[in-house]
Amino acid sequence: MIEAIKQAVLDGDRGKVVELTASALERGTEPKEILDQALTPAMDIVGEEYERGDRYVPEMLISAEAMKGAMKQLRPLLADAGVEPRGRIVIGTVEGDLHDIGKDLVAMMLEGAGFEVINLGVEVSAAAFVQAVREHNADILALSALLTTTMTCMPEVVKALTEAGIRDQVKVIIGGAPVTQAYAEEIGADGYAADAAGAAKLAVTLA
Amino acid sequence: MDHVPHVGGKIRVLSDADLQSINRTARSILARTGIQAGSNRYAEVLAGAGADVGKDGRVRFSDRTIDNALESAPDRVLLHGRGDGPPLDLGGERVYLGTGGAAIRVLDLEDGCAREPRLTDLADIAWLVEHLDNIHFFLRPVVARDVPAEALDVCKFYTCLANTRKHVMGSAGTPESAEDVIELAATIAGGTDAVVDRPIISFVTSWMVSPLTLDLSACAVLSTVVERGIPVALSCAPMAGSTAPATLAGLLAQVHAEQLSGIALAQAIRKGAPVLYGPVPAVADLHTMGYAGGAIESALLNAACAQLAQSIGVPIYSDAGLTDSKLPDVQAGYEKGMNILLIALAGGNYIHHAAGMLESMLAVAYEQYVIDNDINGMALRALRGIAVSPETLAEEVIATVGPGGNYLTRAHTLAHIRTDEYFVAATADRRGRPAWEAAGCHDARAHAKEIAREILARPRTRFISREADRRIRDRFDLSACERPA
Repeated sequence: MIEAIKQAVLDGDRGKVVELTASALERGTEPKEILDQALTPAMDIVGEEYERGDRYVPEMLISAEAMKGAMKQLRPLLADAGVEPRGRIVIGTVEGDLHDIGKDLVAMMLEGAGFEVINLGVEVSAAAFVQAVREHNADILALSALLTTTMTCMPEVVKALTEAGIRDQVKVIIGGAPVTQAYAEEIGADGYAADAAGAAKLAVTLA
Repeated sequence: MDHVPHVGGKIRVLSDADLQSINRTARSILARTGIQAGSNRYAEVLAGAGADVGKDGRVRFSDRTIDNALESAPDRVLLHGRGDGPPLDLGGERVYLGTGGAAIRVLDLEDGCAREPRLTDLADIAWLVEHLDNIHFFLRPVVARDVPAEALDVCKFYTCLANTRKHVMGSAGTPESAEDVIELAATIAGGTDAVVDRPIISFVTSWMVSPLTLDLSACAVLSTVVERGIPVALSCAPMAGSTAPATLAGLLAQVHAEQLSGIALAQAIRKGAPVLYGPVPAVADLHTMGYAGGAIESALLNAACAQLAQSIGVPIYSDAGLTDSKLPDVQAGYEKGMNILLIALAGGNYIHHAAGMLESMLAVAYEQYVIDNDINGMALRALRGIAVSPETLAEEVIATVGPGGNYLTRAHTLAHIRTDEYFVAATADRRGRPAWEAAGCHDARAHAKEIAREILARPRTRFISREADRRIRDRFDLSACERPA
């Protein structure tokens, strides 16, 4: 059964993953076992295949979608059993930027990696980021920008976290077409990743 | 620059039946799915033009609304420079090639490393382009990262206009800065009426975020520019597989719908507004989801868009010359060579990105402008085709030379070898190997760097008169343009 769930995640078959997860739970399989033995290893393979160039982004996303389907069933059970998510991540596109595809892709991969993701959407102000980090006690704040004109809002968010006195409670990671590792260092962010799989990997090392 | 426009329309990637299918589907998309206006202001403007506005801000268009907009959109737009040549006469299948981009990296001419562009780079690139004949207009190619955002629009237009006489196009961040830029250009052109009659500047606005959603801040700029009567390109850049269907035909149907809605919006704001149909389509690289500007499918899409624009009779802000390579290498050469030739043959009117670009739209290199000037020259030569007349058929000189002779010193030969009959690429090396080895075994990139250095070292001319400059300085604080942070 565990193997079948893992395979269904690899195949990106959400319906099958949900169905198999439900019957595994019915048969008394521990939620944590499903997570640790089927879902997480499957997404690790997906990430590796992507990095090797064997998987396209849409093929990676349907696997993440399938995993999300199972997580919806498992999350309340895991919480009851005292199993915490890997971490809590607040994500959004900075002020003035409407482009959400890259950010949503990253959000999906972060969920696939076992994080709880609070997606604030697009054109999020620095103040709204600060409030969400506080409210959700986030471990990581992920900022996205596609435009060269809007990426300059990223340092303002970092500044706002500092001014609110919570900069050291949260790791800030950034991404988007014009963003670079050097820019992350320049504005005092904690990390940068070039793509969604890289972002998930980065979050795991930071959380 | 030669004064007879080059004419494309020599290659058709879509049949008439294909064009009809795409057009029909685009109109159906506008009637069924519509666009998201997201604001009362533009919804009301479009409602005034007969569009149907839903409570959720969704705007749907009937064929009649679109037909009315196409009726009032000019089929010809003239963009002026300040040199000796005639204006760019956009429309039909007439072809012009120029720069593009808002690149955030430039390869340093000396060390070859990527760095942030400065305002001096914008000035240098403008000066370089001024001296490259196969680059016909100057669309602001780099974002000067050393100028504060609030001063950028005036500074960049001022710098472009001071360093080249070619037509200058750029974006504006806000309606207010668009007004400032128009005032700046009017001062140089000799008044507000003069700049509308003979626009030496124009704007590009990314007014729509694909799929089918208005970008309200860009629309505010679009409104201002259209109200002032300055030409504007309606740029939107859907990617097959992410912001458009994965199939090329699906992308074309969507982007045509987007463009038709943009034309309707502009015509609703001001009837007869000079607009350029402005699709910037590409396929997404399915591994990185990045914009694969150098892909052959992207070239096909752009060639198809030229046909779509011709079919509705609106001039096109077209796109060729992108490469996904990070430097002027073999990949850059074959990708640019393919897409520039294809889109020129298809008859794109105002083909931007056709000089200097690397890394899709993210970087430029000085020597790449020189190389692309040659690629453009070859494409334009292909457009001129083969002149066939009694003079060029040369029967008389063939009879005179007769069997076994040669044509080297014939008057007919001398009369034709320095005409448009031949194009010689400045960066190409056609020498024999010994001569090439003796000269140091340089490749085209090295030749291009030498040419760029020589042009950049020439004594500079300011293309803004002292009087206009004084009046500009009375009105605008140009300190940020002269002493960047």
